[in-house]
Amino acid sequence: MPQPVQYRGMTLIVPDNDSEWTAFYAHARAHRLVVRRCTACGLLRYPPTHACPWCMDLGWTWQEVSGRGTIYSYEIVVHAIQPGFKELTPYAVVLVELDEQRGQPTPDEALRIIGNLVRPDLTPEPDANVAIGRRVRVVFQDLAEHMALPQFTLTDEPAQGRVWRLPE
Amino acid sequence: MKTLRDKYCIVGVGETEYSRGSGRTTRAMAVEAVRRAILDAGLAARDVNGMMDYQSGDSTLANHVASDLGIRLDFYMDVVGGGSSTEALVGLAMGAIEAGMCQTVALYRSMNGYSEFRIGGTGARAAQPVRGLDLAQIPFGMRSAGQNFAPTFMRHMYEYGTTSEQVAHVKVAHSRHASQNPKALLRERVTVADVVGSRWIVKPLHLLDCCLETDNATCVIVTAAERARDLRHRSVHVMGVAGRVSKPRLDFHWAHGPITRVAGYYAKDIVFGQAGIGPQDVDVTGSYDAFTFTTMLQLEEYGFCKKGEGGQYVSSGAIELGGRRPNNTSGGHLCEGYTHGMSMVIENVRQLRGTVDDSCPGAAEGVHSYDYAPGRCRQVKDAEISMNLGWATPPIGSALILRR
Repeated sequence: MPQPVQYRGMTLIVPDNDSEWTAFYAHARAHRLVVRRCTACGLLRYPPTHACPWCMDLGWTWQEVSGRGTIYSYEIVVHAIQPGFKELTPYAVVLVELDEQRGQPTPDEALRIIGNLVRPDLTPEPDANVAIGRRVRVVFQDLAEHMALPQFTLTDEPAQGRVWRLPE
Repeated sequence: MKTLRDKYCIVGVGETEYSRGSGRTTRAMAVEAVRRAILDAGLAARDVNGMMDYQSGDSTLANHVASDLGIRLDFYMDVVGGGSSTEALVGLAMGAIEAGMCQTVALYRSMNGYSEFRIGGTGARAAQPVRGLDLAQIPFGMRSAGQNFAPTFMRHMYEYGTTSEQVAHVKVAHSRHASQNPKALLRERVTVADVVGSRWIVKPLHLLDCCLETDNATCVIVTAAERARDLRHRSVHVMGVAGRVSKPRLDFHWAHGPITRVAGYYAKDIVFGQAGIGPQDVDVTGSYDAFTFTTMLQLEEYGFCKKGEGGQYVSSGAIELGGRRPNNTSGGHLCEGYTHGMSMVIENVRQLRGTVDDSCPGAAEGVHSYDYAPGRCRQVKDAEISMNLGWATPPIGSALILRR
């Protein structure tokens, strides 16, 4: 079993028999963002799970996605709960809607993923720059030989739809 | 639809003191709360033969609590669960009785939610390793309930124009109610300016948008209506119940929108369908106010106002004592203390009995002044139907409609 990863005071465990995350993190460590694709209906899903939530088929393959998307919602953590995050505050947690499969299979569904909004050097993006509608791309934060976290950083692409942030 | 409307009653309610440092075990607190509820019903230990509780590895199981009280059980279950479990367990207790497994069931929750297993995610919970699905959120500094719910609240502000000031009215209302509740931890009335001026915890939540981690135990007792008639208080009947109703993709609900939709969207037809009533018939609500926003989201999802108009509704005065439909007349989780939902059911039972424990000298006999000035009365006049809106997370909720 790979050693547990210590990150910001947390112990992250991905044992060898973790059939959901082991390969996901191996891809992430190679700086590829992958999701599962149903071999029956072709729909993509995240987080990694074992049956297709739309057709219940058990067949799946990993598929790399572009890692580009739009901030769908967010929060700014000012008072950190985990001690290891206190030095990062304020930090942004973003819910990113990936470009693949937006509005499918129903208009309210999408591939959405949680990450921190960071600058290219992986430090927190200042609160004033975080807004719903802004475009982002994935970057990877290497944690260990076998693990990296997908994070997101702003791009200079035009915003998607209305840009909104919490009024000061 | 099969319904057990009016066939079952909540006949006893009880709780310990709400504190931030109980200095005793969850076992000691559970025993006290269950005993109080049994005595409140006018029952003896031998009359209770069913027991259920909910917990998350942070409490004492029913076999110990029953043993301490000399209760021999014909049925018990310990359930893993937090918010929204209370209403669900009322339904399960009815089912156990209906199946002939037992006749009278005590339901309890006991937690050192401040001094031991802090609900906010610090303390004993924070030391647990992160694995499995938790890897999709916790490594990003998204661990506490507030951190888990905030993107839902933020998106509601984006989609509907909901403001911090509107939602702050939930705290204002509940603080006014708590000022009439001698049991409440926070009895000081606050203003909208106090709420939006308090420090940020996780935007869009200020400190005063968040509830109070609390040490306490709570209990309600369920039995059949024909048995309830002979007991101490006016019967409070279950008209309808929905338990842990879920949205699709409930373990990662971000995948299935709109993320501003909460479980009540699915629960409302179940619970109102059983009860044969609509939101307009409800006199008092008890909504799970882990945060100001959770109350707002549930009130609109259950149809007390239109979807998206929750901000206007909660800031209209409707949810305050003296308003159209007061919510959380005890002060709720925001002000009375955090109980994982049980206390709001207890409060509604007392409202329907007409014996809310406010500062009116004749409260226990149902004599109230209906003067809602600070430190006075919190009884809703002629409350006939109440509704509890239980919340676990945005995609998981329960509901319970009671009548006197």
